[in-house]
Order: sequence, then structure tokens, then C-alpha cells
Amino acid sequence: MRTVLFALTVALASGQASAQDRSRPFEEIRPGALRFDPPEPRRLQTTKGVEVLLLEDHTLPLVSVFARFRGGPSNFPRTHLAASSAVPGLLRSAGTISMAPDSVDRALEFYAAQTTFGGGGESSFASLNTLTEHLEPALQVWFELLKRPGFDSAMVEVWRGQAIEGARRRADDPGSLAISQFNRLMYGDHPIGWDIGIGDLAETALQTGRLREVHGAIFCPQNMTLGIVGDLDWATARPLIEEALADWPDCAAEVAEPPLARFETPPGLYLIEKDLPQSTVIVGKPSEVRLSDDKGYFASRIGNSVMGASGFTSRLMSRLRTERGYAYSAASVWTTPRRSQGILGAVTQTKSESTVAAIRLIREILEELTREAPDEAEVQDAIARISNGFVFNFQDASRVVSRQMLYLSQGLPLDWLQRYLEGIRGVKAGDVLRVIADNVASEELVILVVGDPDAFDEPLETLGPVTRLEVSRPVPPREAPRFQR
Amino acid sequence: MKRVAGNPGRHLPRALLSILLLLTGAPWASAQSSLGERLPVASDTLANGMRVLALQKSGAPTVAFVVRYTVGGVNETRGSTGIAHLLEHMLFKGTSTVGTTDIRAERALFEEMDAIHDEMLAERENPEPDENRIATLRAAISSLEDEARAFVVPNEFDRILSTRGARGLNATTDSETTTYFVELPANELELWFAMEADRMGDPVFREFYTERDVVAEERRLRIESQPGGIVYETHLATAYRVHPYGQPVVGYMADLQGLTRRGITDYYRRFYGAANAVVTIVGDVDPERALELARAYFSPLPRGERPPPVLEVEPVQEAERRAEVVFDAEPLVRIGWHVPDVTHEDMPALIMLSSLLTGGRTGRLYDRLVLTDRIAAAVSTSIGPGARFPQLFTIDASPRSPHTTLEIEEAVYEELERLRSEGVDEVDLQRVRNGYRAGEIRRLTSNLGLALQLADSEALFGDWRATFGYARRIQEVESDDIRRVVDTYFQARNRSVVTLVRSTEGTRP
Repeated sequence: MRTVLFALTVALASGQASAQDRSRPFEEIRPGALRFDPPEPRRLQTTKGVEVLLLEDHTLPLVSVFARFRGGPSNFPRTHLAASSAVPGLLRSAGTISMAPDSVDRALEFYAAQTTFGGGGESSFASLNTLTEHLEPALQVWFELLKRPGFDSAMVEVWRGQAIEGARRRADDPGSLAISQFNRLMYGDHPIGWDIGIGDLAETALQTGRLREVHGAIFCPQNMTLGIVGDLDWATARPLIEEALADWPDCAAEVAEPPLARFETPPGLYLIEKDLPQSTVIVGKPSEVRLSDDKGYFASRIGNSVMGASGFTSRLMSRLRTERGYAYSAASVWTTPRRSQGILGAVTQTKSESTVAAIRLIREILEELTREAPDEAEVQDAIARISNGFVFNFQDASRVVSRQMLYLSQGLPLDWLQRYLEGIRGVKAGDVLRVIADNVASEELVILVVGDPDAFDEPLETLGPVTRLEVSRPVPPREAPRFQR
Repeated sequence: MKRVAGNPGRHLPRALLSILLLLTGAPWASAQSSLGERLPVASDTLANGMRVLALQKSGAPTVAFVVRYTVGGVNETRGSTGIAHLLEHMLFKGTSTVGTTDIRAERALFEEMDAIHDEMLAERENPEPDENRIATLRAAISSLEDEARAFVVPNEFDRILSTRGARGLNATTDSETTTYFVELPANELELWFAMEADRMGDPVFREFYTERDVVAEERRLRIESQPGGIVYETHLATAYRVHPYGQPVVGYMADLQGLTRRGITDYYRRFYGAANAVVTIVGDVDPERALELARAYFSPLPRGERPPPVLEVEPVQEAERRAEVVFDAEPLVRIGWHVPDVTHEDMPALIMLSSLLTGGRTGRLYDRLVLTDRIAAAVSTSIGPGARFPQLFTIDASPRSPHTTLEIEEAVYEELERLRSEGVDEVDLQRVRNGYRAGEIRRLTSNLGLALQLADSEALFGDWRATFGYARRIQEVESDDIRRVVDTYFQARNRSVVTLVRSTEGTRP
């Protein structure tokens, strides 16, 4: 098959291609200039004061609309955990005050409109993606879902049953079990450490009044930022949005600030026994680094990359996987919330017979980084990855807009990405050593292992005293009463 | 047809009434050549048989690259499962110039450790293997591999690309294809050609035994420690007794431990010829320039052999097959029926059926099992595990305690019977058609997604347009087609059922 349009006799813009001489290093193939004007969303406002970020892109007949709301499960007490976790999903599934749930389903699916509704931590979000030709009706239904949820009792019961089943199945997957138990160890009785359990899921926890209380406090104009991407201009978008906002009630209550996380679990080894051929290992400790325009923050990003966040060439991956064959993946985690402490740690999965050796190696890698600065070349590679791949931040218009919505919600300047790049470019190996030495102390690590200790290479106790955690299987609840829709 | 209506007493605003009118109104989707089929894809077949496709797409200055070899798990023999996937891992280990400080010294050590490995395999095959000797030999291999590391620059292939801004450098192996992919800033076009040509033509399988251990960890991670993974593997082995679709692509653990560097090298030489490769390039690229670079860099690569045909034909299944997996997890069920390969004329109706059953909240099985009867927490359908040979149409579900997998099975069979006897409403069909039509446009948004689709279509059908045209065939499916395929394929004797249980006591029907 040969469907090339022109014979290639025309001299090519960047010279005649020639197969590379095998002895010529790849470094000699230098990139040309990358000419690119990053797309800038327009920052607009509705008459009700809702901030709108708009990025037009008319290449395809598609429109995406994003809404981000201040307030999520972390802003409510534990008594409201079920309701605050349920509300976003129920907005989609449980109808509106004017449409039954199945009417919503049929309408959105007939228009092939895709929606998401979710929440976590201190925020909630919703999105709509539709063909331009169906924008108006799809947007009307979507706003209706956000504004006037029906909380149909049958659909609430479906959600509750699925949540109970989810809690029952949490221990089935060693990865999700380990993450959930690690969060509980680190955060204790703080919203970040909560996992919705059967005790949270009594029918009364999902009464309509409770759902409406959560909805009224989160899903309201004062909490909202909108993003619009795609085949739509402001002249067309504005009346649709203004109309939707006109009768949207104000927030019923201010969302409460969650308490600051406190880390009280003593460092040491924790074990959950599970009869599997592979152990899941998570290690971590609190970190003081906050997301801010600060040298330490930027150094922490490069430190995380060197440690384990940049894939194959990071220390954890190259030592645990490439060198020792202990694991398919090994990565570091270094969260840097804006207000509170974060977590610095590592996660891997390794066969039972290399579990203790892998934990030793992880500790060794972390300790080395507290003693010796990384090579300058390692730091420059980490910077180059971010810097040379910077253009990928603009590959997807939806991501450009949702990122800026995030910046607004975090109180960051809209040019934060540019400042981030500049900050990253200034990091030196000594800065990385400092921030890691200040935040890593291997004797302060909480180490959680999910696995079968009988098959470990050595007793886990050789690393220190071990606390065994019991994860009981939730008792099957009595069958929920059936509702007819 | 929904059996549960909305509350008729509720007031509907005018705008929403118009939506509901539309639901019962005339279809708005018309069958015409899709945006996808009209894409200005430039293509060439090189003298060595390699097919190259390039497409310029507006957007940020980035380019997605895909190399797809038309070989995978079906090209493996029993006893050496996992070889295609292990080779995929080995192609990230560098070449005789990338990843080494002294290739000769490395190769000398390869010979030494491979000879010891042969001894170890021979010992393993003894009727009474000497475990101490095996352990000693294994330690010797390990120590030689450590010695060879003195000449290795680890992960250099990855480092060169990632520091030049690469994103998503990775690969996947499935039953019949092996696919390598990456995205780069548009100004690194030539670097990709140079690096890819180098590894296609001159890979070095260094750190072999360690990487084999990594693949064993991948198997433990995805199959042996995962309830869904173990059900999946057991189901394939239950449904396919002859065809290699029944073998796991990641390989059986015992097979993995017997794979050799020599075996990988042979497999590479036989199956990684240029004639078995499709290259697709999508993004901010001049297609003519991309084709010119492809000719310059890829033409010297050898054509290679054609993979021998897969001769195993799965016999017609004569009776229902059932299997149980015992695992420390809540129950799961997977039901699968044998159906034809993707080129078969019934496949569009089967794909449509899949959407009618579980595509969205209106899907019949989702509605019945999750929303109405509330006996399942989740239900999904799929067609696989490959494309070129007769497939399985599968339904996976997780029961909601205290309901059982048996109750789920009964409800599934009832819904299929209802489809067979009553067919499907036009509105339901139209809803699914509309979804496919929108999907045709959505799939044009991602460079990598498009590059993968072009590679898929070209490798499978010999025509990049074919998968775009396929959507039109789905649009033409009618209620009688659905009834016919349900009647033809969804017979009890044609199905295999695997359930996951905590213990085998008291679970059989």
C-alpha cells in the first residue's frame, strides 16, 4: 500500500534524514526549537460572581464543562461520612425533583453525554462532556442534577448496598487493604484516615435530611468555580450559565474547616497477615514540606523524583527492580498539602521470600539520601524531565483548565505552573540533601506489611518489634429492605 | 425496555419534556463516512515490509509513537508461556551501544551464566533434583549477573528518552500483539527514530535473570494476589482447551523459571522482523518528514520471518464447563460463551449486545442486577482475549452479600432469554448507536489513542480505516440481529462459568 501524496524530492526543512551512525551518541541528535504559545484560558465572571475559566477549542464538535466546589467529606464530622461520600454519586444516580432516576439515565445516555460526579478531601467536582449539537439539553440536565437532586430512596439504598459491599471487599485486594490501613495508622481519627465502614452505613446515616444538609453546604454558587473547554464561545455559553445560576439557592451553610492532621502512631513495624505469595510494603512518616513558592518545596519535588517518583531511573526502582528483581514496581510518595503536614514514604510489592530484604533496601536507600547529596547529574536529569516535558502540561485543553481551577481553589497564582518550572530549574543537589535530611529519618518510619510471615525470608522481628493488626471481615448485614421504584 | 417507570405525578419543566419527546422521536444519527475515515493519514510500506502511518494533528507540539508487532501469546508453545511478554521487558534493556560501557565483557559473562543456567535446568529435570545444587547454581548466576553490572549503565534507554521530555514510555503484550509506545515533544522526532531503530535491530538482553524475576513479581501482582486476576486466568484455561488463548500471556510460573536468554533471542529473531511491524505516528508532525525518517532509519532492518500460522482450532464445546477458584476474598463469577473472531459478520451485533447489557446505567443487566434486584454490586461485559481467533463473550459480576453467584447466574440467563424472545426496543438500540457515534468523535482527541487505534486497525485488518468503518456496521444492527446472536451463541453447552469461593464446601449447585 502506497498512498503517499508527493514523491519526497523536496528538500526537507531540517535537512536530509540519514540513518544514524552507530557510533554517534544519541545526545548529538539535538532537538530543534519548540515553537509554542501555551493556550491561556479566559478568566470570566457571571453576574452571581461565579468564576469561569474558558478555553475555546473548535477542532472537534465537543464541549466539556467542569465544576469544582469547595467542600468535601473532610469538612464534615464522622456522623456525616456516609452522606458526604454518597452525595456526589447520588446527584447522578438518584434523579432530580423533576426527573425520575431512570429518566435522567435515558436522557443523558440518549445524548451520549458523559458525566462525572465525585468528591474527596475538601473539594467536590462534576463534569459533563457532550457533542456540541446536544450542549443545551445536556447542560440543562447536568445543572438540574447539581441544583435540585431528588435523592430517590431506592437509589440511595442501591448506593448504601454497594458501599457495604465495598467495605466487605476492601480486604480482598492487598493493595487497597494496605493503603487503607496505612492511612488509618498515619492519620488516626482524622478524615483522611477514615474509610467508610459498615458502622457508618446505617440507614439513618443516609436520610434525606442529612443528604440535603450536605448538598446545600457544598453544591451552591458561592463554592463553585466553572471551567469550559471546547467548541463553545462565551457569547453562547454565558446565557446558558446565567440561566442555570439564576434560581440556584445560595449556600445553606459555610463548610467547616477540618481539623489539622495529627500523627500519633508510634514508628515501627506493623503486620497484617494475609495468605498470599507476595507482600505489600508501605513505609512512611510525616513531612513538614508544604506546597508553596519556596526553595524547600521545589527541592522536595526533585528529591521525590530522585528517590522514587520518576520511574525506572529513580533510586527505588533501579535498586529494587532493575538491580535486585525484588519487585515489579517501587515508588516514593511525598505529599505536600498546602496547609497541613504531608506524608513521605515508599511503596512496593515483593514475593514473601524477599520481604525483609526489600524493607532493608528501602531503608538503606532513604538513609543514603539523608547522608549524601545526589549526584548533580541525577538532579539535572530530574530537572530535564520536568523541563523538557513541560509541553505535555498543555496537551489537553481540559487539563489546562482543570489545573487552573485547582490553583484558584488552593489560593495559588494562575501562573503557578510557570513559577513551578522556574523554581524547579533552580534546585541544586545540596538543596535536595537538605530537604531530605530534614524530613527523612528511617527510625521514624511507620512500616506496614501485608503478607504471609511464615514465608518471609527472615522473621520480620529481625527489623524490630512488630505490632500485629487484626483486620476483621465485616459481618454480612441483614438483607436490606427492598424498595420499588 | 425499562420495567420501572418514573413517578408520573411529577411535574416536568418544558425543556426536559422536549428531551423526553426526543427519546421517542426519530433517530438523529445518520450513517455516513465518519470523521475518522476521512483523516489525512499518510502511509508507506517499506521495502522490508514494515508498514508506517503518519498523521498530523493540531494541538500542543507533541507526537505519539507506536510500534506494534503482530506477535503475542498465541505464538508461544506450551512449556514456554510468557516468552513474548518477557521479550517485551527485555527490549527496554538497551543495545550494544546504549546501556553498556563494555559490550564484549558483558557478552562473555552472558555465556558463562547461561551455561550454568542450562546446568540448573538439567538438574531440575532430574527425577530427584538436588535442591542444594540448584541453590548453588542459582547463586552463581546471581553473582555473575552482579559482576556484569559493572559494565551496565542501568535503564539508559529510559533515561535518554525521559530526560528529553518523553511521557508514558511503556509497552504491552497481549494474546496476538506486542505494542511499544511513547510520546515526545515534537522537536524530538528524529531522536525517536534513531533510538527505536537501534533497539529494533540491535537489542541486548542484559540483566536477563533479574528481569525474569521482575516478570515473576508481575505475575504475583496481577494474577496470584488478585481475586479478579486468578478468576480471569482460570476462566481462559477452562474455556480454551486447545487454542493458545487458554494460556496466560504473563506465563505460568513454572514456565517463566525455565525461559532462557537463548529462547528469547530465538523468539526475537523469528518474530521481530520488520514485516511483522506496524509503526504509527500521530501529532504535531509533518507526515512526509515522518515517512522519510522511517525510510532512512527503518529500511536497514531485516524483513524477518512471517509468524507460522496458529493451527490449533478450539473444538466446539459440547457441554457447560464449571470451575471454582478457592481464594481469600468475597465471591466473584465470570461467565463466558464462545463467539467468533472480530471479522465475523455477527461481531457487530455481539458488540451492540455488550452495550445493551452493561453499557451505562440503562444496560439491562446493570438495571436488573444492580438497580432493581440489587443482588450484585457490579456487573460488566467484555469480548476477548484477542481479536484474530474465536473469542469469548464474558460477563463478570460481584454479588452483594448475602446474595450468591448462583442467583446472579439465574438472572443473567433470564435476561438473555428475554432478549432472545422479545428482542430490543428501537429506542434502546438508538441510545447505544448514539453512544458509538459520539465515541467516534471522542476518540479523535488523543494522539496516543489515535496512534494505537491506527496500529490496531492496520495490524488486524491491513487497513487503518477498518476500525472507524466498524462503527458504521454497529449502527446497522437491528433487533433481529440481537435475537439471532443470542440464540446462536448463548447456549448453556457453549458457556464456561468460573466462581471464586473462600472454600469449596457447599457451593455447588
